[in-house]
Amino acid sequence: MNPTTDAGSVFRHALRAERIKFTTLPSLWIPPLLALLLTPGITTAVGAALGGTEPHLTDDPGAGVYYGLNFGQLPMVCFGILLIGLEFNTRMIGTSLSAVPSRGHLYGAKLTLAAAAALVVGAVGTAGAFAGYAATVPGEWAGPALVRSAAAGVLYPALLTVFCLGVTTLLGNLTAAMGLLTPTVFLLSPLLGGIPGAGRVVQFLPDRAGQYALHYADDPQIAYGHWTGLLITAAWTTAAACGGLRAMRRYEAAGH
Amino acid sequence: MIEIQGLTKEYAGKRVVDDLSFTVRPGVVTGFLGPNGAGKSTTMRLVLGLERPTAGRALIGGDAPAGGRPYAELTQPLRQVGALLDAHALHGGRTARGHLRWLAASNGLPERRADEVLAQAGLADAATRRIRGFSLGMRQRLGVAAALLGDPPVLILDEPVNGLDPEGIRWIRTLLRELAAEGRAVLVSSHLMSEMALTADHLVVIGRGRLLADAPATGFIERHGRPRVRVRAVDATKLGALFGGDAVHRLAADGVSVSQVDGEAWEVSGTEPERIAALAAEHGVVLYEIAVQQDSLEEAFMRMTADSVEYRAGSAATA
Repeated sequence: MNPTTDAGSVFRHALRAERIKFTTLPSLWIPPLLALLLTPGITTAVGAALGGTEPHLTDDPGAGVYYGLNFGQLPMVCFGILLIGLEFNTRMIGTSLSAVPSRGHLYGAKLTLAAAAALVVGAVGTAGAFAGYAATVPGEWAGPALVRSAAAGVLYPALLTVFCLGVTTLLGNLTAAMGLLTPTVFLLSPLLGGIPGAGRVVQFLPDRAGQYALHYADDPQIAYGHWTGLLITAAWTTAAACGGLRAMRRYEAAGH
Repeated sequence: MIEIQGLTKEYAGKRVVDDLSFTVRPGVVTGFLGPNGAGKSTTMRLVLGLERPTAGRALIGGDAPAGGRPYAELTQPLRQVGALLDAHALHGGRTARGHLRWLAASNGLPERRADEVLAQAGLADAATRRIRGFSLGMRQRLGVAAALLGDPPVLILDEPVNGLDPEGIRWIRTLLRELAAEGRAVLVSSHLMSEMALTADHLVVIGRGRLLADAPATGFIERHGRPRVRVRAVDATKLGALFGGDAVHRLAADGVSVSQVDGEAWEVSGTEPERIAALAAEHGVVLYEIAVQQDSLEEAFMRMTADSVEYRAGSAATA
């Protein structure tokens, strides 16, 4: 027995373990798979159904291309929550910590897996959404904002997923994270965004800000630029990830 | 080996583990005994670094000069310590093999170890079944398989026979004895002395988080049990007059205690059978039974922990 035991190999082993955890549990790989199907699928279906007739679909190609992402982001939020939330709720976190006692390495491996899986979903989903949109909606879909919009399409799901993972780690509880994050992203933020007074605040929420970077056209209601929107989401994600790391370092896996 | 030094854990000012020190030595099964709520599981979680001690420490591999280190500092802990703390602390949606595969990967162990330990735990046929369909006994076996994954020199098992059928219990006993015979340090907890009597070479008894005994299993009764003399007389009324009533106080003054155990038999402790026979003869009581009885291990344990039982019938039993 001559194990290489430097910090690098600890992380590599932890990441490999996280990858196996991911592939061996359907509740973990089904959500990103769903996002991968919904993001281009709904865009293409809506494009095929309404593309020729509904003019506002084509006003801002950014809005049209990412119509499916409105639905695709739901499973990604769940993915971020489930990745660590399931461990808290099944107390499996105790088993994980006894296998990888270095809290930073365990958390870092989870974060890396979440980001990597979400980047794949973002890249493939965005490519698929553009292809589906181009095939079904007449008119120009390329434009000067194409590169920025496509980059946001790849990065936004990853930032949102890691944000949810961080918040869930901070809360240390699956149910609490579901209760906080899902209604915020799916109800509060889109609904309040339409109310003039609330919109000024809500536009700074991580999902609103990041989604603005997807659009081609400028919105006079939004107080920041498209790239800045993505940076605002990135700031939320960084804060959540750091908060999660702090919580993980302090976590005590108490008994039953 | 495991070196526990002054280990203390408080929750909101309440001491659950109180200045605990003992050593788990290689080559023997150390039985870790105490009533429910005595702090056994908390101690084990402290050893694994799952909780932080309020004071003291637990070192794996020996004391500090011998290179012992806290569990949290181990880089490939499964190769050094195998633990089964909570058979339910896993996700039921994975297969048994899936669960062991990620564990193996986390410590750089080859994935074939998963199938090897499944076979060793008698779960080879259930390798591809989802864990949620497992009985408690199968979960315990899976937990033992996980503990053996890294072929570790130290094993820590919290109540491993819980939920096992008689065959499973015998399997655990034999396995623990074999693992110790191979030179490993084995720490196994139980709230049942009768179980430990059959398995452990060494006993560590705690109550309310405090160390009550740390001694070899053989000779434990001689040290902590209390010999009694069982007495029966031809005329039960006469014997009753000899031991009952005011006589109790007189005898207690000499350090002798008596109690009526059933209709006509009495148990006397704190004196020798010769003196009882002499006393009976003096009062003309004809005895037909004078039997020296030793406490069972269970009774010695019950007496030792009687003052430290956290939850009794009638109070909130939450263990």
